[in-house]
Amino acid sequence: MNTAATRTFDERTLRTLPEAPAFLGDLRERAFEEFRAMPPPSPETEEWRYTDLTAFELAFAPAEVGRPARTTSNQDLEALGVTFCDLDEAAARTPELVREHLHALVPTGRTRFTALHGAFREGGTFLHVPRGVRVELPLQTLTHLDADGTAVFPHTVLIAEEGADVTFIDRYASRPLRGALADAIVEITVGDGARVRYASIQEWGDGVTHLGVQRATVGRDAEFRSLAIGFGASLARAEAETVLAGQGGSSEMLGIFFADGAQHFDHRSVQDHVAPNCTSSLLYKGALRDASRAVFSGWVHVRPGAQKTDAMQTSRNLVLSEHAKADSIPNLEIEANDVRCGHAASVGPVDEETLFYLESRGIPRDEAERLIVTGFFQEVLDRVSLEEVRHGAELAIQEELGRAPEEDVA
Amino acid sequence: MAISQEEHLKELSKGYRFDWKDPEHPVFEPKRGLSAQVVEEISSLKDEPDWMRKARLKALKHFEARPMPWWGADLSDIDFDNIFYFIRSTEKQAQDWNDLPEDIKGTWDKLGIPEAEKKYLGGVSAQYESEVVYHKIKKELDDIGVLFTDMDSAVRDYPDLVREHFGTLIPANDNKFAALNTAVWSGGSFIYVPPGVQVDIPLQAYFRINAENMGQFERTLIIADEGSYVHYVEGCSAPIYSSDSLHSAVVEIKAMKGARVRYTTIQNWSTNVYNLVTKRAAAYEDAVMEWVDGNIGSKVTMKYPSIYLLGEGARGEVLSVAFAGKGMHTDAGGKAIHAAPHTTSVITSKSVSKDGGRTGYRGLVRVEPDAHHARSNVRCDALILDDESRSDTYPYIEVEDETAALGHEATVSKVGEDQLFYLMSRGLSEVEATAMIVNGFIEPITRELPMEYAVELNRLIELQMEGSVG
Repeated sequence: MNTAATRTFDERTLRTLPEAPAFLGDLRERAFEEFRAMPPPSPETEEWRYTDLTAFELAFAPAEVGRPARTTSNQDLEALGVTFCDLDEAAARTPELVREHLHALVPTGRTRFTALHGAFREGGTFLHVPRGVRVELPLQTLTHLDADGTAVFPHTVLIAEEGADVTFIDRYASRPLRGALADAIVEITVGDGARVRYASIQEWGDGVTHLGVQRATVGRDAEFRSLAIGFGASLARAEAETVLAGQGGSSEMLGIFFADGAQHFDHRSVQDHVAPNCTSSLLYKGALRDASRAVFSGWVHVRPGAQKTDAMQTSRNLVLSEHAKADSIPNLEIEANDVRCGHAASVGPVDEETLFYLESRGIPRDEAERLIVTGFFQEVLDRVSLEEVRHGAELAIQEELGRAPEEDVA
Repeated sequence: MAISQEEHLKELSKGYRFDWKDPEHPVFEPKRGLSAQVVEEISSLKDEPDWMRKARLKALKHFEARPMPWWGADLSDIDFDNIFYFIRSTEKQAQDWNDLPEDIKGTWDKLGIPEAEKKYLGGVSAQYESEVVYHKIKKELDDIGVLFTDMDSAVRDYPDLVREHFGTLIPANDNKFAALNTAVWSGGSFIYVPPGVQVDIPLQAYFRINAENMGQFERTLIIADEGSYVHYVEGCSAPIYSSDSLHSAVVEIKAMKGARVRYTTIQNWSTNVYNLVTKRAAAYEDAVMEWVDGNIGSKVTMKYPSIYLLGEGARGEVLSVAFAGKGMHTDAGGKAIHAAPHTTSVITSKSVSKDGGRTGYRGLVRVEPDAHHARSNVRCDALILDDESRSDTYPYIEVEDETAALGHEATVSKVGEDQLFYLMSRGLSEVEATAMIVNGFIEPITRELPMEYAVELNRLIELQMEGSVG
């Protein structure tokens, strides 16, 4: 199973990590202690009820960190005062800023996996947009994994200062691998009046286990729009959390996934309304084929005093084969009374009546089903403002639909 | 006032003529706490068959082995060692009218509850004058072959029927509180409706009030045989004062092929009671099972009536209304497990919280593999009346069949300003207007209640609204 067994997550490997500023060294040590002390997340807890990793062996070696590819869309970021660089490089250059934000939103002690991440992470992306600066075109990091039996710890720290405006895409990709782990963390600070659009596109190959935690805090009158696209990995658990911390903030969280084969997707979301007068909306849509399994569990929290909250949460699942399985748990916890909160969830097959209608118009059944699935995703895609991301997702959906269903996977 | 409840009960039991058979226990002294000995004593006092005694003892082991639920309401204040697990019904009338909380007595007055019934509700008297009505109904039921009795008598009188069904839907090790109930149960109702028989009046525990139907650990078993119909009504909308801090009932219902069972509960325990109840029904081919479940009182309620749709074409419905005021946490909901093709379920939940109360909907809709063409719809609405109160919604949807179509929707809101304004411009006070809006909000539930219950529930909501606004 483990092709690079020479190095694993022990103290010796920890000592071989490149030199780092003192604060980072301390953080690694603390995280390593947490990692050693913490048990794997228990399926007895609500958070891990549908994904049991108690028997998950961390038989991976830290991957050689190649340079993740960063794309600036040919913009002169330096002239704008924008920092967009490797996270460790930033830790050396602007230690105060990194120290303030690294693991501030996602503490290392959150789970055994975030602790592991804190201890063994190398590289990552640091994006800082100063006050009032607008970055016209999207910036992007591509994290790539190429060796069997290795682990990678992608980390993005994104800070948009007051009134800043930026679009960022995290893209994860690999070929099919014999056992690999991607243990990712994304921390986003949206300053007062700032606008951030964030997309993560997960296209790991088969054999990859993806465990991602994304958390954003949204300031006063700020706007955060996030999109999570998940097509890859054998097991993908993606947590996306938005905290509405300042009055008048707004958040949109979109999700698209397509599961096939024996893929297991566990999507978790949090819309946490701490400040009054904020708006949040979430829409996750997914299709399932073969013997795949998808779980959506979302939480809307409205904290005491967060009056005039408007929160909506919607999860829709289209089940395309007999052995696929979808679970949906949209939760609400409301502690303020002057609110508008709602959620909706559905799990169901392609509507027979719609199929019948299309077939009666002479469209073959396969084609009709494909049209319906495309239409199902269109509601989310229509809300994606990034042209290239939307187009990419459309192509990926068509590719999934074009793929012959796997037989006898169950 | 100087003597404790314990001493008081001891005092009472001294003068009581016991008629049990076991010479080794000449006097049963109520005592706090739970042990195999207490369970043995309960069983021997009831002169039960050996299988029931063994079932109780086995359940006790499950209870002891099980951890407390880590989810749901806070149960950490329950002191299992400080509870009377069995008190004879005659001993229960130990309350002094003057000791009852004034607010409860006031509510009874305002609801217009008759004096004798008030005394019963307060635990001051064992019965009010329902005897005559009860016997008349009993005779009518006997004539059509319906068995309707308390559970203790059923174990004695219909041992085969009870043994065949008891604990089959809710096994003793189902959960900690079902285990507790199985170990120490007492009272509750037993109903058997023969094939094709339609019981056209609602059977109300009310009518056989002298039986131990409102105990702490009641156990109810209802079997509606093929093609029959019965509506059972449990509880009442008037607040029930209980000095017992823990109420943990188990209700099992079987709706056989083509049968229809409706089970209505209006629970209004006083706000010192932990109400932790397991209710489960099985609906076989083309059967219909309906739970109408109102939770108005108690300190903590955890109750999720479930329906196992086991036969093709079975239908299930849960209507749940929950209210939580000051210091209350009402965690209610419903479950529908689709285990056969072409089954349908509908869950409707309405909750109202005020004065710092917390209501929750917790539900599960599950479609088993091969339960093809299942349909389910869940609708939860919550009304929060002030900024100290809270509402939670935890709906679980689990689907293992691709032909299933499930939907869930929920909303949380406050009383609309424009609605209030409109009603007040018509001359209603704010309290009256709010009460009217809340009554309208829970109307989908009240319209399903027998008339007298609906009237009482509406009046109760009006009372609860008093002092809540302004």
